[in-house]
Amino acid sequence: MNAKKPDPVDVVVVGLGANGGTAAKVLSEAGLKVIGFDRGPWLRAHDHYSGDELKFVNRNYMWPDPSTYPRTVRYSEDEEAQQFAFSPLPQMVGGGTNHWAGWVPRPRESDFMLRSLHGDVEGMSLADWPIRYKDLEPYLTKVEWAFGVSGIAGADKYEPYRSKGYPSPPLRPTRYGKRFYDACNTMGINAFPIPHAMVTNNHNGRDPFNKTSFWNQYGDPSGARSNTLTTFIPDALATGNFEVRAESFVRQVMMGRDGKATGVLYVDPDGNEIVQDAKVVVLALGAIESARLMLLSRSAQFPDGLANTSGLVGKNATFHEYLFAVGLFDNEIDEPLNGFTGNYISGGSLEFYETDENRGHIGGCIISASQTCHPINWVFPGRPTWGEALKDADRNYFNYAMKIGLILHDMPVESNRVDLDPTVKDAWGLPVARITHSPHKNDVAMGKWQVDKNAEILEAAGARKTVPVYLDKMTGNTCHQHGTARMGFDPTKSVLNEWGQAHDVENLFVVDGSGFPTATGVNPTLTMMANAWRCCDYIANTYSKGRVERLVQPAS
Amino acid sequence: MTLKSDWETVGEPVDHDSTERLFFTQHEWDTVEAATARIMPTDHDPGAKEARVVVFIDRYVSGIDYVFAAADGSGFLKLTGRAADAWRARQFKMQALYRQGVRDLDTLARGEQLVSGDGGPTPPVASWNADHAAGGRANGQHEARTKGFVDLTEEEQDQVLVALSGAPKPSKVTLGTKEPVTTFLQGSFDEDLPFFETLCLHTRQGFYADPVYGGNKDQMGWKVIGFPGPRSLKDTMDGTYDTTEYFYEGDYDWYDLIPYLRESTPRQS
Repeated sequence: MNAKKPDPVDVVVVGLGANGGTAAKVLSEAGLKVIGFDRGPWLRAHDHYSGDELKFVNRNYMWPDPSTYPRTVRYSEDEEAQQFAFSPLPQMVGGGTNHWAGWVPRPRESDFMLRSLHGDVEGMSLADWPIRYKDLEPYLTKVEWAFGVSGIAGADKYEPYRSKGYPSPPLRPTRYGKRFYDACNTMGINAFPIPHAMVTNNHNGRDPFNKTSFWNQYGDPSGARSNTLTTFIPDALATGNFEVRAESFVRQVMMGRDGKATGVLYVDPDGNEIVQDAKVVVLALGAIESARLMLLSRSAQFPDGLANTSGLVGKNATFHEYLFAVGLFDNEIDEPLNGFTGNYISGGSLEFYETDENRGHIGGCIISASQTCHPINWVFPGRPTWGEALKDADRNYFNYAMKIGLILHDMPVESNRVDLDPTVKDAWGLPVARITHSPHKNDVAMGKWQVDKNAEILEAAGARKTVPVYLDKMTGNTCHQHGTARMGFDPTKSVLNEWGQAHDVENLFVVDGSGFPTATGVNPTLTMMANAWRCCDYIANTYSKGRVERLVQPAS
Repeated sequence: MTLKSDWETVGEPVDHDSTERLFFTQHEWDTVEAATARIMPTDHDPGAKEARVVVFIDRYVSGIDYVFAAADGSGFLKLTGRAADAWRARQFKMQALYRQGVRDLDTLARGEQLVSGDGGPTPPVASWNADHAAGGRANGQHEARTKGFVDLTEEEQDQVLVALSGAPKPSKVTLGTKEPVTTFLQGSFDEDLPFFETLCLHTRQGFYADPVYGGNKDQMGWKVIGFPGPRSLKDTMDGTYDTTEYFYEGDYDWYDLIPYLRESTPRQS
């Protein structure tokens, strides 16, 4: 089954999510001929998305089908990994920006220099980034404006310098959001609308009519949500330099004798295996699948996986974890909170983000009051499972609950990693990604401290019962993935350089969260997209012109 | 091959009042309906029975024609390729799970132990079973057909569910407490769950999913808990359905909600 070999192009981009979408836009707008591959579908938001809870939240319409795209996880080295939908980031055009809640806070200066700040911490593999906040700031601004972010500039007391405000104002507060602001103000906590990947105005001609509150995990049929499917992919197509090949599975990066990548081998929707040649290969599958593709792309030169002479491909994986506390109110006394409203988030804070040694752990978390979601899956952990108690729980508390969540800033540990499962194969017959993970004790302590703090805020807001959700093991419930091909200056201690360029293969770039030496404590997508934009600027304006530039290692 | 982006819409929304069975036998239908009515019982508000949860489950397990509603709820998506293969295999297992599950409910109803299954032998159901069976015989009804789950009283059915679940009947939520739990993945997929968990999950889904799938008749599940859902899925695609009125309804000023704004110097857009 061999189709005619297609013409070579300047760049292939593998994975068309947040970062691949950004790469497609930046590279094609710079005049390069680009083909973008995605193993998943190229849906049409206006035709395919609606507020169907069963379809989106329970039956994996967008999440990867666990039989077709299995993944395995084990929580210690000596156990056999079990199939589990760990970190079910949608594998489709638009990727995670199809389903995300869309918190897009900026990273902090400390996020780029944890090693300098904390030195050697036992069991952690802390590393500084090869760049600093100031290197990324112009690109954070570009993404906020081109992609669309709502927020209030100057509201986040702890935000570093920003060169420009936001293109869109936030939504009005929800009822539980108002409770959150009031409670935070009594406690002296700086609460504000967490910057949100949506617009509420007609920015860039968008049509943000979706006020359904079907948001987190749903596709948005309107122009409200910032999704690369409806923004950067159309921008790239408009250049005439970009082509999408969807439902096409890239199974290997091809290598030439000169030590450079020559393109990719993919399986088209009809099952044909085709080679697409390109001058540059850009990986943006997400830190789990990018690492998997590198490990699958073995060659004589790289028997342990593509660009893996450091042995670090797949290692130092960080995933964040969404932890939270739920508060229940009394439906006979209290006002309803309508937890189903609000495009998921409604107020948050970075008050507890920076290290405070008195807490007994390093790092800290962003927190946010967010939706308790919709009837089938509304968030009440420990809810009675059946009988009169179940019915009363739903009837009495569905509209009388609120939740304050956090993103756990988990620290890198070298043995926390992605590799190839020895037995489980996907629908293409290829070994699947296996996650091996055991949280560092700092992660557990940080989660406990912050969940308890969130419960305290709930009590200040008037909650009459709290349900704290603590970390025992990672489930990948944020779909945040980082670290599996860390960026750095030293080729023995990192896979990529400061441009996301593989130390071992000069025309291979990885522009997703794989390159993050540490996770940052904020939701990573804004940082990833800004970094992808920065790296692709380098590909278009420097590398493709036959030049080399290196950054100077920042002083620590 | 038809790509996922081009899946056709076929069929129409499920008729809640239909008594046509696509997968269940009549006995299975009656048993599942009775069991779901104990999971989401009827009181002064309707429960699973009135919401037609059994119709929802029968359609779902019948094959792959009722997996995904079309975005606008006008019918269902016709799956193709690997997605169709995966769902066909999954529903084959699901059918076997329900078929065995109904047998297990009847077995427990007769006061017998379950011997098969991943969970090992189920503990004997409370002594009423033996009394019941003995009573039947003592009354000379030995020729009568074997009692099944549907023949039990509601209290007896609850005892069967207790035995099947291996846990006491859940007690009501109480306020004034703090009850910690640990991490879990959001969203509940129903693959490879034991029968009881599957039945509980499907009951929730049938009670609260969009009515297009056959349950939540007249949105009665939503009305019970006060969820003002959309009139139709189509209304969620064009701005017709709008939840703004359920947000904070009073006047607000960001400078009051965020006192720090008074001292910061916001940069203009």
